[in-house]
Amino acid sequence: MDPPLINELHFSAANPSAYGLAEIWPFPINPGSDPNVATAGGLGFRMGNLGGFGDTSGHRDGSMEESTVTEQSVGYGAGTKRKDLSSEDESSKIVSTTTSANELNDSNGKRMKMLGTKNENAGSKAKVEANSAAGSKPGQNSKPAEPPKQDYIHVRARRGQATDSHSLAEKARREKISERMKILQDLVPGCNKIIGKALVLDEIINYIQSLHRQVEFLSMKLEAVNSRMNMNPSIEGFHSKDLGSQPFDVAGMIFGSQTAREYAQGSQPEWLQMHVIGTFKRAT
Amino acid sequence: MSPMNNPQDLNPSSLKSRFTTRFLRALTKINGQKPISSSSPREMFQRYRRIKVAADKSMAWSVRSRRTWSRAMLWKLRSRYSCRQASSSRRSSVRTSTIIKSRQAKTSHEKENKNTTTGQDEVGFVVQADKLRKLVPGGEAMDLCNLLGETAHYIKCLTTQVQVMRKIAHFYSL
Repeated sequence: MDPPLINELHFSAANPSAYGLAEIWPFPINPGSDPNVATAGGLGFRMGNLGGFGDTSGHRDGSMEESTVTEQSVGYGAGTKRKDLSSEDESSKIVSTTTSANELNDSNGKRMKMLGTKNENAGSKAKVEANSAAGSKPGQNSKPAEPPKQDYIHVRARRGQATDSHSLAEKARREKISERMKILQDLVPGCNKIIGKALVLDEIINYIQSLHRQVEFLSMKLEAVNSRMNMNPSIEGFHSKDLGSQPFDVAGMIFGSQTAREYAQGSQPEWLQMHVIGTFKRAT
Repeated sequence: MSPMNNPQDLNPSSLKSRFTTRFLRALTKINGQKPISSSSPREMFQRYRRIKVAADKSMAWSVRSRRTWSRAMLWKLRSRYSCRQASSSRRSSVRTSTIIKSRQAKTSHEKENKNTTTGQDEVGFVVQADKLRKLVPGGEAMDLCNLLGETAHYIKCLTTQVQVMRKIAHFYSL
């Protein structure tokens, strides 16, 4: 079994936009050379493995091979799982230290370039077991991986270049959600100007509640109309004796008796007229 | 306005047409059921409830089972109806109520599961999402993505329903 090769295949399949392994890591991959150090064991890391690192600090098994170069899971002695390690793509990897030197994150982000791989590898190898949590990077611009004495190195993706399968799924999910939010914004009047998902949702909730209220109000109105009509059978409307199985006929008759008035009213019930005519014709 | 400003409404298979025919049918049936004898508030309220249920049911039937919210609404209406029918026999009502409770428990449990897996990126509007779940029928057991899709269709159907009801009310109140 050849973990690095498998990882590479997996990696390239999962992220066709990433660089090939050869471009990133021109040096031979020695999976078995130093099992204690996750060297360029391939780029097909996984979050699960990262999590697993935390559990077994001294357990450098083959899964370590899958970590990226920069990841050099140096001494996960802290044993803490870090799930925010997204994108292990070397090309976009930004190694950040996790210990107190959080301020290095920004500087790391700027300096993380692939050109530092070789140095990172060397440096990381050298500092495998280093675990002093000094945070400040001693001006090692070319070795962002260092700030050595780290218990473990966090890798953070450059913006917009996440390649971890999990973060990819997350991104796809987020895009789906935002696309649906756009559709909703088009449906609800007055939502176009609002920015911010929470406010848009508030607007949508208000709109649905107002629609519910309108349905209730209209059903009350219909009930009043019906009761009025039933009490005065002379008024054209639902004739109780005609209601049998031909509501279309009733509607047609109603329509016919009110033709003149409807025309005077304008075009508002036109749609209903057309529909009634259509159904009436269909029924007969 | 030209008489044919909405030519697509003549399409017999559009949502509007389906809902209209169903609703008109239900209305005539309601009218034929019992003659309006008195106008006590209680009876008025009952009639109003019946009309509202008929409207919702017609709308849900027009959508059939294509959408989760329509299925949930039909299920709710049916279970409520059967609950009321079986109110005389306590056993069956207890049975239906336990069924309803178990279903609610199941949906809330599913909701909890879904909530724990939504992750941290929706921290901002989890509250609104919960409110939305209560508003949209069947929204309790959906993840956010599907919930938004169902909401869109539900809003479209609600606007159609309101439009048709308004026109009918206007038509027959003259």
